[in-house]
Amino acid sequence: MSVFSKVLVANRGEIAVRVLQTLQAMGIATAAVYADPDANAPHVALADEAFPLGGSTAEETYLDRRKIIELALRCGAEAVHPGYGFLAENPAFSKECAEAGLVFIGPSPETIELLGDKIRSKESAIQAGVPVVPSSPVWTPGESQPDDLSSQIGFPLLVKAAAGGGGRGMRIVERVQDLDAALESASREAASAFGDGRVFLERYIPAARHVEFQVLADSSGNTIHLLERECSVQRRYQKVIEETPSPALNDDLRDRMATSAVAMAMSAGYTNAGTVEFLVDAQTGEYYFLEMNARIQVEHPITEETLRLDMVEWQTRIAAGELITLCQEDIRPSGHAVECRIYAEDPYSNFAPATGRLLAWRPPSGMGIRLDSGVAEGQEVSAYYDSMLAKLVAWGPDRQSAIGRMQLALESFPVLGVTTNIPFLIRAIAHPYFRSGEYDTGFIAKYPELTAPPESNHLNLAAAEIAERIWQSAGPVSGSNVSGQAAQGPWRGLSKSTFP
Amino acid sequence: MTTRRLQQLHPPESAPVETGDGADIEIAATSPNRWEGHVQLDDGRTASFLAHRDGQQVHVWIAGESYVFTPPTPAARARRPGQPASGDIVSPVPGVVMTVLVAADEIVEAGQDLVIIESMKTEHLVKSPRDGTVERVLVQEGEQVERGVVLVVVVGIGEER
Repeated sequence: MSVFSKVLVANRGEIAVRVLQTLQAMGIATAAVYADPDANAPHVALADEAFPLGGSTAEETYLDRRKIIELALRCGAEAVHPGYGFLAENPAFSKECAEAGLVFIGPSPETIELLGDKIRSKESAIQAGVPVVPSSPVWTPGESQPDDLSSQIGFPLLVKAAAGGGGRGMRIVERVQDLDAALESASREAASAFGDGRVFLERYIPAARHVEFQVLADSSGNTIHLLERECSVQRRYQKVIEETPSPALNDDLRDRMATSAVAMAMSAGYTNAGTVEFLVDAQTGEYYFLEMNARIQVEHPITEETLRLDMVEWQTRIAAGELITLCQEDIRPSGHAVECRIYAEDPYSNFAPATGRLLAWRPPSGMGIRLDSGVAEGQEVSAYYDSMLAKLVAWGPDRQSAIGRMQLALESFPVLGVTTNIPFLIRAIAHPYFRSGEYDTGFIAKYPELTAPPESNHLNLAAAEIAERIWQSAGPVSGSNVSGQAAQGPWRGLSKSTFP
Repeated sequence: MTTRRLQQLHPPESAPVETGDGADIEIAATSPNRWEGHVQLDDGRTASFLAHRDGQQVHVWIAGESYVFTPPTPAARARRPGQPASGDIVSPVPGVVMTVLVAADEIVEAGQDLVIIESMKTEHLVKSPRDGTVERVLVQEGEQVERGVVLVVVVGIGEER
């Protein structure tokens, strides 16, 4: 069986670009879709064909299943790649693709539905002999409230959305008197984000680490794992920095968790690329199944860098019915890889999302450096979609060299016009707690110096002086008037001036 | 020392800028509204920078940090940079006002939820920083707001505006 002649990518941003690049390298014709604010986005320019979805909000564009399937059929695509987020884990979309004669590049609708239901997926894990965190049944706050659930779980506990992901609809609750407010707020957020306001309670394990295993399974049931990714650097329950191998695992724990991951995938009847997430109790060394993600993961590049394989290519081949030709024994990592997510957000203001126009965007390059980016200079970053702009990945022969390369790349990545978390990433990567490898999910909260505004120093003095010079040379008029000779200002023909 | 006409908008300034010993600057306009160059810092290092003028703002990237400068508004001139007027509760994010939980003249406690803003698919609860009375509500549900827009004015007990 051959791979597809044409594939439509039903996503935006860096993952759309990432998927399009692999499809094109495989010689597959590509189609993209886009919302109005993305008309000038890189994924639109990259695809062989691009179709407008008409509208701005996610609901009327990248979440509109009917529009996307119609466009795929009209342009003659044989398959749809959903990326992550949006429709990637929507069983109805996967089902409707199949009904329309399109191959959905991902697992079956039944598997997506099973894994999207946190309770059923947990039962599946228990059946597979995989350890799980104690939790309550799901319910809809306001409609009915089971008695005394919180006392069985104990405080602190987590309120989680049944359909949740990415930290949306999730709250840590320390005291019983805060529970009702947290339930209401989490349920409302979940209803808005996922169209499902059901929630449940789960024991909160402080000092935990998030470690996940990548799995790959074909339609004949061949299931292998592609080792782990350490994802414990998080803000608002969303990952910010990932690395592989995890500094938290020894060979014995790695083997046991990998065996659990493969057992979980087989128990769920999984096909294609998926990720089994675990919570590791740093104090006891025990691990618990959290959830299985039925999609390509944001942080997949670090696996690609250490294993030298292309995850999107494997996804596509498996969806076309090909069998996995890799053996578990062939999966031997080389070196170490780190990923930093570049978010449009203000690290000094509790990571509040930031918007604006990218006045400058100059990605770094260098040995072992990879940037998966979905934006370009001049582009508008709107509040309509996720705030992740790009992922910076550094590979090195060992952990220290990978982190060293990452540090240098972050320090030479000018971005203007949109506030990003790069200054935070520079501090986090350099922090002794991160360097020690012993960090857990409490990292950011534990060290306020990571998110404190910088002290006034020679750097902001220099920046202030540069700004003053520019302002005075151009005059307090609209920036568009500044050009040619006027923009040269007092520095024309001047190699050096001393200030103040 | 040049007289400063701009204030630092981002990152929030921790203390008023003091005069340094001076630094050597090499700067060139490389395209419309764009400047690049090098600065010799007090500690002897050289740092390259990239700057962009966008209307009333000057953006400067240097050594991994991006600064934004703008002329102060008349109201801002009257108070310290980064300090909003007392009582003004501002939106921490750009987004849409989902719910307004208080009305004018309502008495609120410190920590009480005032407004819910949705931004990039996440809810942000805006809480009252103090015990007091809601003097005014300036936004409506469904309204788009920029970051920093005043949502609610809460006057502390015994305080006057």
